Amino acid sequence: MSPSFGRGAMTNSWSDLKNAEVFLIAGSNCAENHPIAMKWINRAKENGAKIIVVDPRFTRTASKADIFAQIRPGTDIAYLGAIINYIIEQKLYDQKYVLNYTNALLKVSTDYKLEDGLFSGYDAKTRKYGTASWGYQLGPDKKPLKAESIEDPDSVFSKLKAHYSRYTFDTAEKISGIPAAKIKEIADVFCKGKPASILYALGMTQHTTGVQGIRAYAIIQLLLGNIGKAGGGINALRGEPNVQGSTDMANLVSNLPGYLPHPINTDKTLRDYLVRNGSFFEKHIVAQLKAWFGENATKDNDYGFSLLPKTNPAVNATMVKLFEMMNKEQFKLLFNVGSNSLVSIPDRQLVRSALTKLDMLVVSDLFEIETAQFWREPGVNPADIKTEVIMFPAAFVYEKAGSMSNSSRWIQWKDAALEPLGESLPDLDMLDHLFKKIRKLYAGSTDVKDAPILKARWDYGEHTSALKVLQELSGYDETTGKLLPTIGDYLKAPIGTASTGCWIYAGVTGNGNLAARRNNADPSGLGLFKDWSFAWPGNVRILYNRASCDEAGQPVDAKRKLIWWDEAAKVWAGNDGGDLVDKTKGPDTPEGKLSFRMNPEGVGRLFAATYMSGLPAEAPADGLPAIGIRPAGICVDGPLPEFYEPTESPTTNILHPEVSISPCALVVSTQIGKSDKFPHVLTTYGVVEHFCAGGITRNIPWLNEIMPEPFAEISKNLAAKIKVVEGDMVEVSSARGKITVRALVTDRLQSYKVNGKDTETIGMPWSWGFASLSPGPSTNEITIAALDPGAGTPEYKVCLVDIRRAN
Amino acid sequence: MDVSRRGFFKLSGLSIAALAAGLGFDPAVAEAKGYALKLEGTKKIPSICHFCSGGCGMLLYVKEGKLIHLEGDPDHPTNEGTLCPKAASLLSVANSPDRVTKPRRRAPGADKWEDISWEEALDIVAKKTKEVRDASWKVADQIVNAKTGLTESLTVNRVEGIAFLGSAEVDNEESYLIKKFCQLIGTPYNEHQARI
Ligand code: SF4
Repeated sequence: MSPSFGRGAMTNSWSDLKNAEVFLIAGSNCAENHPIAMKWINRAKENGAKIIVVDPRFTRTASKADIFAQIRPGTDIAYLGAIINYIIEQKLYDQKYVLNYTNALLKVSTDYKLEDGLFSGYDAKTRKYGTASWGYQLGPDKKPLKAESIEDPDSVFSKLKAHYSRYTFDTAEKISGIPAAKIKEIADVFCKGKPASILYALGMTQHTTGVQGIRAYAIIQLLLGNIGKAGGGINALRGEPNVQGSTDMANLVSNLPGYLPHPINTDKTLRDYLVRNGSFFEKHIVAQLKAWFGENATKDNDYGFSLLPKTNPAVNATMVKLFEMMNKEQFKLLFNVGSNSLVSIPDRQLVRSALTKLDMLVVSDLFEIETAQFWREPGVNPADIKTEVIMFPAAFVYEKAGSMSNSSRWIQWKDAALEPLGESLPDLDMLDHLFKKIRKLYAGSTDVKDAPILKARWDYGEHTSALKVLQELSGYDETTGKLLPTIGDYLKAPIGTASTGCWIYAGVTGNGNLAARRNNADPSGLGLFKDWSFAWPGNVRILYNRASCDEAGQPVDAKRKLIWWDEAAKVWAGNDGGDLVDKTKGPDTPEGKLSFRMNPEGVGRLFAATYMSGLPAEAPADGLPAIGIRPAGICVDGPLPEFYEPTESPTTNILHPEVSISPCALVVSTQIGKSDKFPHVLTTYGVVEHFCAGGITRNIPWLNEIMPEPFAEISKNLAAKIKVVEGDMVEVSSARGKITVRALVTDRLQSYKVNGKDTETIGMPWSWGFASLSPGPSTNEITIAALDPGAGTPEYKVCLVDIRRAN
Repeated sequence: MDVSRRGFFKLSGLSIAALAAGLGFDPAVAEAKGYALKLEGTKKIPSICHFCSGGCGMLLYVKEGKLIHLEGDPDHPTNEGTLCPKAASLLSVANSPDRVTKPRRRAPGADKWEDISWEEALDIVAKKTKEVRDASWKVADQIVNAKTGLTESLTVNRVEGIAFLGSAEVDNEESYLIKKFCQLIGTPYNEHQARI
């Protein structure tokens, strides 16, 4: 989402779902995986909202739908493209919104093109794009040229129109298996309801084109004017309890906390970093360095910028790739805190082999998960495995104080309710003790490499205090040592005088611990609850809510007023906190016009152009490269979503057979299957009783009773063809392996036609492994490790398999 | 952080109603008694569900240091007292006999674990971190400059031999310290399951 809107987070909140008039739920079985969403969707439904569900299976969510469409896994962009085409052809878009709050009028570089499935700038050798031609035509002031009207052939809007003119309903039917009439019905119903909400989860992201699928959602919602509004938005239903928070804290190789870009090897100085990333980040990276190095970060030493490690951007070290590097013996020591890769990584042989290459594996978890005991998986001889394993007993969530950020970006605090069981300890304590021990080992060293450890500010008390850590995130006035009251105070502070460990959390404990607030009043009735806990950024509950107002700053939807310009008081007022640069800058000022202030253009991006704002017209006199303000977020695989077949596909791409699959997908698996041997499409999913890799839920007796073992769900047609009945054991095989499970014969899956050919989807849950109270075969034995080139997300949702009766 | 009494009754009323369906007697009385006995002397502590990203509010009932009951927090605006089945099962995690409660070590080639003390475990890991860090320290990347064709040495000060997988299941403060820890010891190779 960040290439479209500027931030990668769910735009609205759970309780806001009740404001929607229509839902498109595609890529999420929220009735099972996010039951709380269903509660609020049902409330909207009681008020007459329509529900559209698109899914490879007739799920429990689908049973609530007004319209259900069964789709071939991995073909979302085909039908979404057809909807975009229809919106443009039939002029169903919100004209004012498109003109004022998107980049529709900006002129695209004349070098940009798409030919036979490849965008301009493709390098077949590296399988990567050079993105220079995806920019705008710039004026002498280095700003994008604006067309007079959307009809201008160079405008973003015209490019969009031309691009999707190829996506007719008929083409979309051939690709996706959804009848053309059904796609038209979805388009009609979705475009009619205002506001309209889109919900997705892993069903949308776990593809080699995952990022582009979300971009297609963004384009639809920008065209219809549904972003920034109560009841609208794109709601990414994140999988885990704190996945928003762990992403905010950047447990990701490419970022530092608060979505700051990670320094790379060409960033010799802080200045180089800013040339690459824009001056917007100066305040934030300096505040972070102050939080980490305190008085050892000064203006004279570049605020300690040299103390940070620099990555090599040529090396892609995202999650699955990390195991590939491990398997090539790069890592000797792996810390594994709270995840179970041996079950959760696709084509899991890679993980099994990689772990044996380590000197030491350090695990911290509640239970003895599969990853911790990989050395005694059935069929493995422990004597052959030289990896030393240390396991720390982790405290359970209720045995420790701390905060978690839910999908609505609410940072919610909880006190410790229990003493940790036995000798278990929170990971926070473990890290604190460990760091202090390591620092002792380096005491007295004058080696440059040891400076970051010795110069660090690291003081969380005798008994590690989570509140002290949260206060470090919230931020200090470094001249007084006092907490900064609000994010506004942080933003006002001169560079170098404030610290925060994660700037988007600034102010969370500035006036008491706001994350612990429990006032559930909702005077607007819109489900904003703005005195309950604290939402980043700055307690804004609906992101981009400036776009809910017209040019004069007044709400477009009188029933759902979020913010408005109060002319008498000369300030933005409202039921929600304003997502604005400055609350005192009116709708006629440049700042007050910005609907998407995190984007360099200040508007939503239909076309994900390359662009850096704020570059000076003349090169700087000192001969140094100029520093702009903010770069646009781009998608490495193209500025507009284009349909590509999954890496393992039962057919060929009819739009461009020569470039059938994503030309940028990162294929890690070495064994790739073809449809002659593996004719069926496998898709994986979760069940309500088990959670992710099952490390916790498979140790809970009564969940195991309800859902004791994995299965393969197949259509009646397929069952008849391979001569099995429900409950029979079947062997499901792919190019990478095979597993034997029970067959579940249902109506929830139907045979369908793809490019004229009969096709079957097989569904399998994946939460099992060899350990726990309830062991079972891991579906990731057979899935494919093929990754989205931008996000690194594996294509769990599609691979090719064969199935037969097991004896 | 106390929970309103009224809110609490609102909830218990709800759960009784749910159980009442088809029982054929007035469950309100029977239930209320059992409920009251079980919860007598407990401390009610509000908390957050630990499964999906809903962030539903929970009330934990704790007596003598033990979690004896949990239910949806009726004051929480997202779930208004409801909980889905996964959440309701968190109770058994707190008291599970299968939890690991002591640090352990599996020696190279061994076929079983041995219990060790925290002190020992931390010492082993700290020493190993130093050893791998010192041995795999990289001062500079050698990169061919595309324009000049010359090899440049770019300072990186990075550890190549240590990776750290964090988690979307730990608290914000823990995720943050994981990142800070990694950056201070010099490894950028910190990932977690957000992208998978
Ligand atoms: S109670 Fe259910 S819906 Fe709510 S956060 Fe927990 S798992 Fe999610």
